[in-house]
Amino acid sequence: MKHTLRAILVASGLIAPLYAQSIQSDNQADKVKIELGRKLFYDADLSINGTMSCATCHEQRRAFTDGNKVHPGALDDPGKRNVPALANVGSYKNLTWAHNHLSGLAEQSLMPIRGTDPIEMGMSTHEEEIGKRLSQNECYRKMFTIAFSEEKGSINLSTVSRALESFEKTFISNDSLYDQKIKSNQPLPTKESEAGKKLFFGAAKCNSCHSAPLFSDDDFHQVQPQTQAANPLMKDNGLSDVTGNLKDKNAFRTPSLRNAALTSPYWHDGRAKTLSEAIRKHDLKMNQTLSDRDIAKLIAFIDTLSDISFVNNPKYTKPSKECPY
Amino acid sequence: MKSVVLVLMFLTGLFAKEAVLPTELTAWKSLSFISAAKSANELSDASLSLNHASLIGLHPTPKIQYVARPMNEGGTVSYGGIFQIDIKESGVYRVVLGNASWIDLIKDGKAALSVAHNGGPENSGIRKMVDYALEAGTYTLQLSAGADSTSALLVTKIK
Ligand code: HEC
Ligand code: HEC
Repeated sequence: MKHTLRAILVASGLIAPLYAQSIQSDNQADKVKIELGRKLFYDADLSINGTMSCATCHEQRRAFTDGNKVHPGALDDPGKRNVPALANVGSYKNLTWAHNHLSGLAEQSLMPIRGTDPIEMGMSTHEEEIGKRLSQNECYRKMFTIAFSEEKGSINLSTVSRALESFEKTFISNDSLYDQKIKSNQPLPTKESEAGKKLFFGAAKCNSCHSAPLFSDDDFHQVQPQTQAANPLMKDNGLSDVTGNLKDKNAFRTPSLRNAALTSPYWHDGRAKTLSEAIRKHDLKMNQTLSDRDIAKLIAFIDTLSDISFVNNPKYTKPSKECPY
Repeated sequence: MKSVVLVLMFLTGLFAKEAVLPTELTAWKSLSFISAAKSANELSDASLSLNHASLIGLHPTPKIQYVARPMNEGGTVSYGGIFQIDIKESGVYRVVLGNASWIDLIKDGKAALSVAHNGGPENSGIRKMVDYALEAGTYTLQLSAGADSTSALLVTKIK
């Protein structure tokens, strides 16, 4: 089908054959990069003892979170931060809870794989193991060869992380009830959620940080409660741990509220069990003086940001064992 | 012979400090050795009995043909195995495990849904406890994505 189209275009002189050829193979390489990233996302061989894949912590059915406060690493080292949701993660300039100079998703993926604060997949100093393990699998050899032909199909941390990035960029969530009603210019179905929406974008000013359409401004804010006792084992000062700048102390990137009804517990350390606890936790006069009624309305609105087609999308599930190539 | 040594090694490691176990877990302390099956046709040699803790021998993941694809699959360097257990009456059952392997309990091709997760009491050697609401019948218990070639396993009825 694709071939016929190309043949017609070429025959009619609309595109030069060579150019057509390269479009064809670029498209093919991009498609395989995504499929490869998906396979890798579910492959526990990216961890030191084969016990943990990206999907162990990022479960699709929970909008790519895991339901735990924090998640221990493959070698049982304690976790540090709550697993964030990955919807629309390709749209962020700042990645993770508190980092402002990661070059993108490929570089980010190295943090769980070989990071040491905390130790998650535990591959630090064993990076070359990944290439060795994956090269034993014929399907991987074929797929890397198509996806990374300029690099002769080399299987290493760099190609692995770029394939993961390609897959993660397909995580698009824009079909929640809220999105559907916006598109058709209709109010939300319940009075409660419609009132919550007005509050969110109006008097309560949630939108100033949790800005639509991402429901995050992709920026850092200091909203930590003053009374919060520090976790003595895991000192976490947020952005200042990266920048060294005191004015960034305790600043974290605004988390998106898309699918938030599916991603409990909340807060960068998973300390808030419920949405209402999370909303009240902000060190903002507004959040702390909202009535229980208002909180209920806001939660009814946040509920409409759940995108069931995203968490059920078959494009993100664990791929079948059969090799597609 | 080999398994006796293993049992001893395991027990000394496990109970270096005396743990205080709740009554429903007292069976945890008397272990016998059982080697996991690698596929469905070896299952008759890998039967677990209710309330009997076993020291279990696991296999490298690439050697195992699981009955159903595990929810969490281990990598080529991980360990796992398959067991079977007869459940005589419906109720809530607890699978108690010495390592953090993923557990799937399968009957008629369908995995039972877990109803609760817990860690073990301190110094008990228990890493993980998962509760399931089960009907009577024969279940296949699959362990996957484990870090070690041995562990310990107990299935007990709690309700
Ligand atoms: C042990 C659990 C765990 C594993 C395994 C894990 N992650 Fe994460 N992931 C986290 C946590 C926790 C964070 C937040 C880290 C932080 O803020 O410092 C995170 C953050 C992220 C982010 C940033 C999201 C955002 O909103 O900026 C991406 C993307 C991501 N992980 C992808 C991956 C990929 C790809 C893998 C596999 C290579 C992976 N993760 C494996 C726990 C995990
Ligand atoms: C000044 C910016 C700002 C405003 C205004 C704001 N938030 Fe937040 N919100 C944040 C930041 C930053 C976090 C993350 C804090 C952390 O984890 O340390 C957060 C966290 C949350 C969380 C937890 C999300 C998760 O996944 O952990 C919820 C829910 C939330 N906010 C809802 C609201 C609501 C509802 C309002 C309006 C009443 C609001 N926020 C107003 C910045 C803001």
